[in-house]
Amino acid sequence: MGKGAGIYSLSEQEIEKTFPNLIGSGYTVTSPETTEYNCIAWAVNETNAWWWPDSFNLGYWPPQIPRKETIDAFIKAYALFRYAPCKNLQLEAGFEKIAIYVDSSGTPTHAARQLSNGHWTSKLGRLEDIEHYSLDSLPEYGTAAVILKRKK
Amino acid sequence: MTYADSRLSAIYPQRNVLIIVKDNTAIGEDSDRLNEEYKRTIEHYLIPTTTRWANPSIRFNTLKAEWEAATAHLSSITEIAIHPAYQQIIGMGTIAIPFILSELTKNPGHWFWALKSITGEDPVPPEHRGRLKQMTEDWLKWGKEQGYIV
Repeated sequence: MGKGAGIYSLSEQEIEKTFPNLIGSGYTVTSPETTEYNCIAWAVNETNAWWWPDSFNLGYWPPQIPRKETIDAFIKAYALFRYAPCKNLQLEAGFEKIAIYVDSSGTPTHAARQLSNGHWTSKLGRLEDIEHYSLDSLPEYGTAAVILKRKK
Repeated sequence: MTYADSRLSAIYPQRNVLIIVKDNTAIGEDSDRLNEEYKRTIEHYLIPTTTRWANPSIRFNTLKAEWEAATAHLSSITEIAIHPAYQQIIGMGTIAIPFILSELTKNPGHWFWALKSITGEDPVPPEHRGRLKQMTEDWLKWGKEQGYIV
C-alpha cells in the first residue's frame, strides 16, 4: 500500500489531504483504519483502547496518572512503560523512542514511535497506522516537542 | 401536481410544481452522470436548503459528515467533542438519539459525549473507558432498555 503501489485508495486521499507534507516526504499505510486504539496507545504497542486524559471521562488513561491534557501527564503515563525524556531523536542501538507532539499552546496532540529502521510509526486518529520517514511530515499535529526513550 | 419522486413529495407536499422525468435509458457513464445531476437539480428545487435543515435526518447526516471529515485524524477526545458540528448535534437534543444509536450499530465512533450530554446518563462502567466496542455495546443496551432500539 501507500505511494507508489499503483492503487490510490480513498484513505490515502484523505491522509494526504490532511497531511500534505507526507506526499513529498513519503509514507506507507501499514494497517486498516480502526477506532479501537489511537496514537497514544499505539506508541506503546497497545491496540485495545483509545487513550486520552479527557475531562469527559471517556478515554482510557492509567488510573495512577493525573487525568490532565498536559505534557507532564503524558510523560508520566509513558514512564509506566519505562520511557524517560532524552535529548535527541536519532536512532540509537538498544533503545526505543517515542515522540510527543504538542500544539502551539503546549497541549499534547499526537505521539509517534520510532521503528528499528529509524522511521516512525503513527496512528492517525481513527484512520490508519502509517510508517513515515520524518517527524516533520505531520506539522498539522504541531511539533514533536518531547522525545522519550527506553532500553529494549 | 406531479413529482419526480414520491419520497420528495411526501417531504414537501405544498410545493405545487409539475416536473417531467425521463427514464435514463441511455448507456454509458456520461448518461449516468447527467441523470444524477438532473435528479440533484430537481431535489434542490423541491427541497430548499432551509427545509433540508429543518429535517432532523438530513440535518444530522450533514453535521455528521462535516464532523467526521474534520476530526478523522484527531486523537484528542476533547478536540473531537468540541467540534462545532458535534456541538450542533448535541444541540438537536433527544431527537438526535435514534440517529446516534443507529450510527453506533453500524460503526463504533466517538458519540459517547453527545449521548452523555443529551441524556444526562452514563451506562459505561469505568473499566470500559476507551474501549469503543464495549462502550458502544453499553450504549446500545441502554438504547434497548429505553425503547430507542426495538
